[in-house]
Amino acid sequence: MNKVPKIAIRDVCKRFGTLTVLDGVSLDVHQSEVVCLIGASGSGKSTLLRCINFLEAYDAGEIRIDGHLMGYVDAAQKQRRPMSDRMLRQARRDIGFVFQQFNLWPHMSVIQNVMEPLLRVRGLSAEVAVKRGEVALDRVGLTDKRNSYPLRLSGGQQQRVAIARALAMEPSLMLFDEPTSSLDPELVGEVLQVMKGLAAEGMTMVVVTHEMGFAAHVADRVAFLDRGRIIDVGPSQQVLHESKEARVQQFLQTYHDRTNF
Amino acid sequence: MQFGVIIDAFPYLLQASIATIGYTASGIVVGAALAIVVCAARFANSILFQRAALAYVSFCRGVPLLVMLMLIFYLLPLIGILVPASVSAVLALGLCTSGYLAEMLRGSLTAIPRGQAEAAQAFGMTGIDTWRRVLLPQAIRTCLPQVIGEFIALMKASSLISVIGISELTRVSMNIAADTYRPLEAYIGAGIFYLAINLCLAGLGTLAERHFSRGIIA
Amino acid sequence: MNMLQTLWHYAPLLLSGAGVTLWTWLLGSVLGLAIGASVALLRRLPVRPLQWVLRIYIEIIRGTPFLLQLFLLYSGGPSIGIRLSALTAGVVCLGVHAGAYFAEVFRAGFEGLPKGQIEAASSFGMTSFQILYRISLPTMLVAIFPSIVSILISLSKETVILSIITVPNLMYQVQSMTVETYSAFSGIAALAVFYWVFVECVARFSALIEYRLTLFARRDSAEVRA
Ligand SMILES: Nc1ncnc2c1ncn2[C@@H]1O[C@H](COP(=O)(O)OP(=O)(O)OP(=O)(O)O)[C@@H](O)[C@H]1O
Ligand SMILES: [Mg+2]
Repeated sequence: MNKVPKIAIRDVCKRFGTLTVLDGVSLDVHQSEVVCLIGASGSGKSTLLRCINFLEAYDAGEIRIDGHLMGYVDAAQKQRRPMSDRMLRQARRDIGFVFQQFNLWPHMSVIQNVMEPLLRVRGLSAEVAVKRGEVALDRVGLTDKRNSYPLRLSGGQQQRVAIARALAMEPSLMLFDEPTSSLDPELVGEVLQVMKGLAAEGMTMVVVTHEMGFAAHVADRVAFLDRGRIIDVGPSQQVLHESKEARVQQFLQTYHDRTNF
Repeated sequence: MQFGVIIDAFPYLLQASIATIGYTASGIVVGAALAIVVCAARFANSILFQRAALAYVSFCRGVPLLVMLMLIFYLLPLIGILVPASVSAVLALGLCTSGYLAEMLRGSLTAIPRGQAEAAQAFGMTGIDTWRRVLLPQAIRTCLPQVIGEFIALMKASSLISVIGISELTRVSMNIAADTYRPLEAYIGAGIFYLAINLCLAGLGTLAERHFSRGIIA
Repeated sequence: MNMLQTLWHYAPLLLSGAGVTLWTWLLGSVLGLAIGASVALLRRLPVRPLQWVLRIYIEIIRGTPFLLQLFLLYSGGPSIGIRLSALTAGVVCLGVHAGAYFAEVFRAGFEGLPKGQIEAASSFGMTSFQILYRISLPTMLVAIFPSIVSILISLSKETVILSIITVPNLMYQVQSMTVETYSAFSGIAALAVFYWVFVECVARFSALIEYRLTLFARRDSAEVRA
């Protein structure tokens, strides 16, 4: 493919004080591709994902979305400045982000949660926003919960609302940070089902996950992060079953030991 | 004891109670406005703002209301601002309560999980919208019970504005005591009204809490 | 006369005023703690009428302004035969006032005692007296310490109010000084700063004590006590 990638990550570095969390990460994600990020806890998966929509500012390297540099005014590395708030907001509008902790706004009902960004960011009228919100809730199968408050829903339902809230913005790209990690095991399926549907419809997705089943069956490619570097990346079957990296094999082995009781 | 005195004084005490509530409410409004500014300063990036806000809060909490009242009462004319005593009174009440309100607000704000503001950011919401739509509405709801407690405390403290001649519940009962030579009855009468206002406020508070806690408490 | 000369001139009066302020605060606090502890203990007796009376005392004191309570005792008292000097009335009032607040704090302290720890102690065969002194009281004191301090701080601020019934405390002396010198603001400003510094010092000092008292609950310094 010689098209411009949807996301192009080049030599990205990120430090928190003296701790180097991302140490020269490069990765391309193409239109309609699903890429899973896996790796041990603390390896920098969340940080990488948060750098993509600039919730964290990366220190060096480049992240381009549709060819546009994210978070900085396009200039030579040494003299670049963070972009204005306005431009950053504009860039973020088209990127959906789904958090491990859902981060629904508890004082707003389900439909209000979904409508809020449409009203504030897209500037839609209330009528249009309601319609779009209902469509989004329908896609995650939660039309009947539209007037409930988030904290009255199960974790799986809350996460589906969070996905609907992101979807309603009609993003061209979605980032998921361990969307099922704070769910009870029997609720994981309903969320993965929704994500599978999105993948099938051609959404570009980057998913940090510990669900190896999802990585194996839904992801086009899997990237393995270890101490801030991508040490293996490729088609999911290849990374998950035939990786030559000892670190990857070891990680997957402990994973198998734990799940195959 | 002559309870007739209390019964005769009833209309005056009732009117004075309304004044007491009015002064307290004005004080809370002034205090809340100040508190929001001070709280914003405490969350500001500039160390200077943070320090200033911290000093302000400790000043408001350290200076007794009576002293604050005198301070403002004498300061305003000194810098050429001539206002009625009632304005000084409301200002003093507001200043005294603003330190406490600011701390309550800060407590509620820091209790909101960081992710909620991040979610708003991730959608491209502006900082102002994030505050206005996500953070403040929740913070105000969760600190409501404390604010009602503060309202009740300020209502009692407002008896001190009687010393600059403001005609509120305590002042009126002093007048009645002087007119009738029955101080015991007059003050008991005022006490009954204070207790009654207290009960009403607490009741209203419970209702408001129930109404506003929608969603926040599962 | 400039400010400093004025202050020097009035120094003896101001010092005596400060003494009165401190003295009333201390006496009021001790009286309040005694009343509060007694009321909290008496409320645990299974005597209904007594519980009612104590409850009414607490609600009335906590529901009305201190100034009104002061007037009631000082000006209303004589008509039922209670004649007290301004100073005595002031101290009694501070004590009775604080007592109601302390009583509530102590009650909460009793109720918050973790049952499991007491059961553990009795499972080793400790006597109830030993349990009270070695387990219950220390746990409770640590838990209620911050509330106690905040009541003490409030009380120190209430002492100002005694000047209204002519107790010659610092506020009173500052006011009489300003009446004579016509520079009302500077005196009050100095008083405000005095209280600010005083309250801030008490708050910091007690935060330090609280830190020491709760070291055991902090993970990062678990070894400090060992
Ligand atoms: N805001 C921050 N300040 C300081 N250190 C941070 C911050 N955020 C993350 N870190 C550190 O960066 C490292 C990588 O964190 P990150 O959250 O990216 O890991 P992760 O791969 O997502 O792990 P997990 O699977 O546990 O979510 C960790 O050591 C973490 O402690
Ligand atoms: Mg993570």
